[in-house]
Amino acid sequence: MSREFKLPELGENIESGDLVRLMIKPGASISEGEPVMELETDKAVVEVPSSVTGTVGEIRVKEGDKLRVGQVIFTVENGTGAVAPSAPVQAAAKPAALTGDASTKSVPPAPGPAPLVAQQPARAASPSRPSTSTGGGEFKLPELGENIDSGDLVRLMIAPGATVSEGQPVMELETDKAVVEVPSSVSGVVRAIQVKEGQKVKVGEVIFTLEGGAVAQAQPARSHEPVEHMSGQQGARLAFQLAMRAEGKTEEQALPPDQPHPESQPFSMPVQLGKVAGMDHDPIPAAPHVRRLAREIGVNIRSVLGSGPGGRIGEEDVKQCAKNALMQAAVAAQTPRGAFVEPELPDFAKWGKTERVSMRGVRRKTAEHLRQAWNTIPHVTQQDRADITELEQLRAKFAPRAEEAGGKMTVTAIALKVCASALKVFPQFNASIDMGKEEIIYKQYINIGVAVDTDRGLLVPVIRDVDKKNIVELAAEMTQLSKKARDRKLTIEEMEGGTFTITNLGGIGGTGFSPIVNHPEVAILGISRSRMEPEWVQVKDKFEPRLILPLSLSYDHRLIDGADAARFLRWIAEAFEQPFLLSVQG
Amino acid sequence: MANTSNLRVAVIGGGPGGYAAAFLAADLGMKVTLIDPEVNPGGVCLYRGCIPSKALLHVAKLLEEAEQARNWGIEFGEPKVDLNKLRGWKESIVKKLTGGLGQLSKQHSIQFVQGKAAFVNATTLKVTKTAAAGEENLTFDRIIIATGSRPTVVPSLKLDSPRVMDSTGALDLPDIPKTLLVIGGGYIGLELGSVYATLGTKVTVVEMLSGLLPGADRDLVLPLHKRLERLFAAILLNTTVKSLKDEKTGIRVTLDGPNVKEKEKEQVFERVLMSVGRRPNSEIPGLDTTKVKVNQKGFIEINEQRQTAEPTIYAIGDVAGEPMLAHKAMHEGRTAAEAIAGHKVAFEPNAIPAVVFTDPEIAWAGLTETQAKEQGREITVAKFPWAASGRAITLDRPEGLTKLLIDPKTERVLGVGIVGAGAGELIAEGVLAIEMCALAADVGMTIHPHPTLSETMMEAAEVFYGQATDIYRPKR
Repeated sequence: MSREFKLPELGENIESGDLVRLMIKPGASISEGEPVMELETDKAVVEVPSSVTGTVGEIRVKEGDKLRVGQVIFTVENGTGAVAPSAPVQAAAKPAALTGDASTKSVPPAPGPAPLVAQQPARAASPSRPSTSTGGGEFKLPELGENIDSGDLVRLMIAPGATVSEGQPVMELETDKAVVEVPSSVSGVVRAIQVKEGQKVKVGEVIFTLEGGAVAQAQPARSHEPVEHMSGQQGARLAFQLAMRAEGKTEEQALPPDQPHPESQPFSMPVQLGKVAGMDHDPIPAAPHVRRLAREIGVNIRSVLGSGPGGRIGEEDVKQCAKNALMQAAVAAQTPRGAFVEPELPDFAKWGKTERVSMRGVRRKTAEHLRQAWNTIPHVTQQDRADITELEQLRAKFAPRAEEAGGKMTVTAIALKVCASALKVFPQFNASIDMGKEEIIYKQYINIGVAVDTDRGLLVPVIRDVDKKNIVELAAEMTQLSKKARDRKLTIEEMEGGTFTITNLGGIGGTGFSPIVNHPEVAILGISRSRMEPEWVQVKDKFEPRLILPLSLSYDHRLIDGADAARFLRWIAEAFEQPFLLSVQG
Repeated sequence: MANTSNLRVAVIGGGPGGYAAAFLAADLGMKVTLIDPEVNPGGVCLYRGCIPSKALLHVAKLLEEAEQARNWGIEFGEPKVDLNKLRGWKESIVKKLTGGLGQLSKQHSIQFVQGKAAFVNATTLKVTKTAAAGEENLTFDRIIIATGSRPTVVPSLKLDSPRVMDSTGALDLPDIPKTLLVIGGGYIGLELGSVYATLGTKVTVVEMLSGLLPGADRDLVLPLHKRLERLFAAILLNTTVKSLKDEKTGIRVTLDGPNVKEKEKEQVFERVLMSVGRRPNSEIPGLDTTKVKVNQKGFIEINEQRQTAEPTIYAIGDVAGEPMLAHKAMHEGRTAAEAIAGHKVAFEPNAIPAVVFTDPEIAWAGLTETQAKEQGREITVAKFPWAASGRAITLDRPEGLTKLLIDPKTERVLGVGIVGAGAGELIAEGVLAIEMCALAADVGMTIHPHPTLSETMMEAAEVFYGQATDIYRPKR
């Protein structure tokens, strides 16, 4: 008899992992609990133990593969596994010490500080447990444990039309004791879901029905133990409740008065001819003051599920609904949203005369682009300063050469060269992120944009292949492009293809600022005005006047870690301080 | 929230909707101007509607009961009617109430303007004062239209004769005619017809449709119909009035219908009461200079906040849609005032009670059986006949009925219908039950005072569970 070992559930929101290391070979004998592979998930590297015993037959995966939960890993010959093919989840991933020895027969009890899946306390599984499914093609809420006969449905993980397989978690249920993930005991295509989020679900209540009514139920007697864990929502809810308690607020105070309205209703004309108002729709099962509360906190009363007798909606139901909406909004806010809702403006004319001018061209484009960048990129700005006393002497010395070439030997021109060198050493600053494909794009070219202040607004001409040009060439090109920008002669091509940006406000002043990353780039260097400052010179044991250049590096924290940014900016500062570095490392 | 304390609000029309809106707006800190052609606020309801008719109906009921008292061993002899005194009493009630409203307006610091308003634009009204000559343009931040409605006249039956009255004329009580034809079997016709009938007039009612009080459930209308058949000379259903002709002795009326006997086809009535309905007063001069929309039936279109298509203008009451009832207008007026104050309000009642103040009274709220049938909605109707009510027997009024319309799944009370003496007072409990989404069990388990007619509500709820105390109705 051949059995299959499938990748078990690894924990909430973990659907897949990369196979780092296989610990078994065809023909090897394997016993239940023995680790079979190392899997790298979004959260950790885990060692996956076998849930079957026998001889490994065919291995269906190879190292480097992306494995999905439920995928067949290997087959087992002569299997005596007492465990169902689709392993009960609690026997699944244990956080693996990366040093885990493949030949270790027994997995040590998880000592990890944050187990991915909290061990389910062994419950006295009553042998008289009712079947978790009927033959009628429906899934009923199974027994959850002693003295638990119902729970609040926190989250549904299935939708009508979705394929559900045995063991797959279908919902999160909050009981008096914990939030549990309830796995399906049936397989098939979901036809109708009989419950709603926020609803109280009782043991034995039908959760969903299946198409065609076919139930592939392997072992009706054996139900999947619900997995207890702390979900993100549960965490958020607890945090919310704690925060409210800490502030001594009531829930009502803590709930913001304006919930985001999913459907904002413009002026609508109800048809009310010959009808008794209020009777053209189903009467709302809520008392007038409850309806008022819902309106005031922005909850659509028709979306509230009443917990009272006959579905009566109470104040608590409305508040719960608002809280859920708040959670969803909080979750949604974490993912970039396409549509940004503009907040309403006050009537400025109330306080005096105003003038409205349409926002055209560069200004509008800048506004859109920067908002998108700001909303997409988690920004951090790193500050540093470079001693450019020596560089300044060199700059003055070589300035005539640049002038001969038709350019100006500016700090920006030097910064271009410095940054190009730095980007070669730190390629992650010369990259972009593709969140859709979950990939990082490293660019093999270095094109640096320079922000130019024009009377039309901010323009960013891009200098190509900066790493292949010397400072004099760069100075000349920079001068040329700046002039073009001011003369409105820049072409679109000349403003495209940048991999990094420099913005120098030193000509105006300032001691530092937080530039916004020019999306889809991942970093931008801001330069402020250099000034003479007393610097402590250790070797001379005294202060000396030094010319100090303030540098501000904003970066995309999704891709770049703080330490890397500090190193990158330090590297740039040092390159300014010791221009010789450029020729050595750059 | 916007500061509303200095908002200038005009309310056009001083009926129940208008003054309710004005008073609340003033309470919310707005500067309110209330415009009405009468000396004091009150509108049709107080001057020419609800209130005077109720005074006369009280008299009618007294006369009826005095007559009925013979059965109980009490005789008063023939009543003598001093029409001037009766009219005076009625008018004193109107004066007292409208004067009170004038006082309340002053206390609320409302500027009451006796006059008429026309629109100049969405925020400006041209006000013509009754007292002073000339017009004045006044500007406001918000305007609430509460101009109400007026009796409809059937164009083909338009006859300029003092013998043909509308509800206003009938309430003036010019005399007690020997014969009266009431055209229209709605609540106005039946109420005023009852008044005249008990004062001694032979009243004939013609109704175009197949039953009195179209829209009300038939089982509620039946006891009233039976009683009115005795009180009135005739009730002619499915009957239309072909023509009216003014003659020396009265109005010659031509009737047509399957129930009309040949000799009844032409009759002469001393007076005719035209009560075929009411139409909204939306023909306000200058309204077309605004974005306000008026639909085909003449109602101003509004949203849940009672705001019209012109954001600065709101409309409430009869002019803004059915049902044309004072209590609906008052609730709308308060909704509009709060909406203007920036409160998040909406007009969304689960039930608006309707009361016919005949004897017996008919009252209903929420879903009716007729509506449930139209909607194909499954309901369970629990009825408690007043014949089983001790209180009804002591009043010698056992013809009443209380019924609850209950959702069989949730057991929620969706509608209440009552016919019987004092049904108009009893219905309030039903409205509360519906608005509070009470279950039949809630009504049944609420202790009602004994012996009262209100017990019939409780017992109807018990009927739903097959456990009523005073009647045997096993659960189906």
